[in-house]
Amino acid sequence: MPIPLESNSLKKIYRNRGRTTTAINNFTFSVKDKGVFSLLGRNGSGKTTFVKVSTTQLTPDEGYVKVFGKDVVSDEKELRHMISLVPQESRPFPHMNPYEHVYLFQKMNGNSREESKDRAESVIGLLGMEDFAKVECVNLSGGQKQLTMVAMALSLDTQIYFLDEPTIGLDIITRKRVWNAINKYRNAGKSILLTTHYLDEAAILSDEIGIVSHGNFIKQGTLDELRSGLEYDTRVALRGRTDIKEFEQYGRVFSDESGMVLFTNQENVEKILSDSFVRKERIEVGPIGLDDVFISLVGEDIEVD
Amino acid sequence: MIKELYRTITSLTALNGFIPLWRRPIALIAVISTPFSFLFFIYLFGGPSKILIGAIGGILFTIVNASTMLQTDLLFYKLDLKFQQVVASTPINPLVYMFGLATGNIVFTLPGLAIFMGIIVFQSHIGIIQILAVIGTLITTWVIFSMFSFLVSTRVREMRDIWPISVMFSIIFGVVPPIYYSISALPGPVQYFAYIVPTTWAAILLKGIVIHNFAGVAIPALVFVVEMFCVLAFTSRFSDWRLNRT
Ligand SMILES: Nc1ncnc2c1ncn2[C@@H]1O[C@H](COP(=O)(O)OP(=O)(O)OP(=O)(O)O)[C@@H](O)[C@H]1O
Ligand SMILES: [Mg+2]
Repeated sequence: MPIPLESNSLKKIYRNRGRTTTAINNFTFSVKDKGVFSLLGRNGSGKTTFVKVSTTQLTPDEGYVKVFGKDVVSDEKELRHMISLVPQESRPFPHMNPYEHVYLFQKMNGNSREESKDRAESVIGLLGMEDFAKVECVNLSGGQKQLTMVAMALSLDTQIYFLDEPTIGLDIITRKRVWNAINKYRNAGKSILLTTHYLDEAAILSDEIGIVSHGNFIKQGTLDELRSGLEYDTRVALRGRTDIKEFEQYGRVFSDESGMVLFTNQENVEKILSDSFVRKERIEVGPIGLDDVFISLVGEDIEVD
Repeated sequence: MIKELYRTITSLTALNGFIPLWRRPIALIAVISTPFSFLFFIYLFGGPSKILIGAIGGILFTIVNASTMLQTDLLFYKLDLKFQQVVASTPINPLVYMFGLATGNIVFTLPGLAIFMGIIVFQSHIGIIQILAVIGTLITTWVIFSMFSFLVSTRVREMRDIWPISVMFSIIFGVVPPIYYSISALPGPVQYFAYIVPTTWAAILLKGIVIHNFAGVAIPALVFVVEMFCVLAFTSRFSDWRLNRT
């Protein structure tokens, strides 16, 4: 069985009205195992462009992308049987209800009336959409519309699901329903490529994470691998503290509105703790999280070229 | 295969035709009102003898106009809803997608078409062969202009660009060609132009079938069918189902 995803020296340039934008400069990576792969990166770093290339919407300028061994250009016909997509910022038809969306999308893909009905009902149940499944989308909330798009994509029985910010605008309960659905598909042996700006979501769902920046693929690994790749293992947050200099000896210090954050190593923690105790300051200590990995890899003050 | 194709087309027809018509029947008014107002003016200035020509013009204009306005729907689905991306990542063929939506689009015109057809039959006493020939001509017209709309929609990048474009095409295809009058009434250079537009040939054909009992329709019919294949070839070659130009 070929690997779920392979991207080699991928480059994609947009040419619009005389303006050119290099959306992807070099994405070289592969996803070797099935499961959930999350693509993380700042706004405009090339995630959606990658999803569009992988789902045969855009052709690469250089390099190639293969999904389960199928090239997105030369094998596009076969590939389209294997993929399913939630485009970023997609919306349902105003005049139809969520049930009709899933049902008709099933029929559109050649399924019988009964099959379409069964699949529509099961995906609507899975995502907990029963209450509004028969309400025209023009009368639905933003999150309910978003969920309709997710339901359509999940209703297809494909090998891999490309979900471009599927949980944007969803409340935490609804988000967890989508997480459950993603987990269920994952456990059934499906692959999912997820993009999201909710790092907690990526940390919880992902088997592996890829980080992109300014059109380059810069890092890949499990959450633990990404953590251990950093120089520091511990995060210390100090509220209201402004004296950065004093802490620089322990590691790297970032300051923000609420205080400052120090990335350091476990052996320094005791010293810092007792020090702050003496000064009666509030302090939070914990292992480095995905947020910290993300910030240290693609944060503004760090060169990543 | 055939069964799947049928399911694809009927679901798109429901999506773009029966469901919106059922929920927003008011849209019918928009599709029917223009050709009926033409009919009204023709009656007003030409008298009862012009009703037949007015109805022939009305039935043709209804098809041409609805198929041209399909551009707006197609573009809305592509750019605003991003539905075309969802479909383009499935095995559904782009032309099948277009035909499904075009069929849905024509659903809105059916009441108008039926009324015009009634007037034509009643006024001209044509037989079943002529009625079938008229329907064949109308279907070909629908195919040509729906495909052209699809071609346009795959090339346009912004929603706001489509309003002027579709109005322009609606005039070029629906008003300039000699539907309601004879082509010789047009000023010289415009005549040459009118001979390129498929609507002209559709109008000549319809008048030949209905009024002259098939006299002199062979050449227009040939030109018309050739034009259909040209548009098909052109659409397959130049439409951009992928997003490379958006
Ligand atoms: N249709 C387009 N035409 C021209 N440039 C584009 C187009 N779409 C995206 N870009 C540019 O390409 C770059 C990458 O965009 P992309 O949408 O892939 O980013 P992203 O990582 O998905 O961002 P976000 O997290 O905000 O969704 C950006 O600089 C963007 O301005
Ligand atoms: Mg994006």
